[in-house]
Amino acid sequence: MTAGARPPRTRGVIALVEESCTVCMLCVRECPDWCIEIDSHTETLPPDDDHRRPRTQAVLDRFAIDFGLCMYCGICVEVCPFDALHWSPVAEYAATSPDGLVHERDRLASWEATVPAPAPLDPRGVVDDPGPRRAAGRLASGS
Amino acid sequence: MSALADAVVAALEPAGASASDGFGPVTVDVPTHRWVEGLEAAYAAGAVFFDLLTAYDLGDHGFAVMAHLAAGDLRDHVLLRTTVPRDDAALATATGVYRGAAWHERETHEMFGIGFTGHERLEPLLLPAGFGVAPLRKDVVLAARAARPWPGEKDPSDSGGRARRRTLPPGVPADWPEARP
Repeated sequence: MTAGARPPRTRGVIALVEESCTVCMLCVRECPDWCIEIDSHTETLPPDDDHRRPRTQAVLDRFAIDFGLCMYCGICVEVCPFDALHWSPVAEYAATSPDGLVHERDRLASWEATVPAPAPLDPRGVVDDPGPRRAAGRLASGS
Repeated sequence: MSALADAVVAALEPAGASASDGFGPVTVDVPTHRWVEGLEAAYAAGAVFFDLLTAYDLGDHGFAVMAHLAAGDLRDHVLLRTTVPRDDAALATATGVYRGAAWHERETHEMFGIGFTGHERLEPLLLPAGFGVAPLRKDVVLAARAARPWPGEKDPSDSGGRARRRTLPPGVPADWPEARP
């Protein structure tokens, strides 16, 4: 069975978009099952044209979801402020031992390609001419 | 209101039960010593379908034991509820009125440690022999929460060495023992 044959919004596995993760830890802390583990370290970036001071940045080392503990509530997907987690309809991740259900970042990232496109916007909610925005107005005032 | 609930309240007059609408089916609070009487009244009023018996922890106030009963045609239903004290929690068995309650009382016995006097066989149902504690009591520490450190405690900016406000796992009582990595 192909993933495409499953109903929309199927909760198969949780896919990770590694580039979007900022190691904010929100998903780990909100997870009621404690099934997500993140390891990270901080790196110091030298000053460049846009930044006069060196800055530190968290770098993801490990992102693992234990699907033996996960109860598919989707709170991590909801809470992620950078849309790094998505539901994928893939359900072929069986294992022969409980340890085998802990899927690491490479496996989670491989499911990114199977994430379905978001549902189209409700046409009744699309406004043709949104009019001037506040930010545009501020620019126009030439401050 | 529910005709079943009215019948139970009427049967336990004068010093008896009170009904409240709550959020779902009408709940009739029955005094502990008249629990079986309340069940009998519900049965006599037509609540011949026994759905469920379970309990929940009220902390210092003991435990609430509740039974969900319905009319044979399922057009009317009622929750009967009573409270038992925390120490020596015990209640008269419902099996004299509803045979099917035997299974539920065994489960309630092993999960909450509530005794059911008159029950024929209060053996463990789901837990392994010698489990020792009643796991659904709120003062029982969940082993999985004490055996393993919370993964959310890690702080990505820890390397800075600043003392930061400690975050605690949501939903875990503060007085539970904490696992240290």
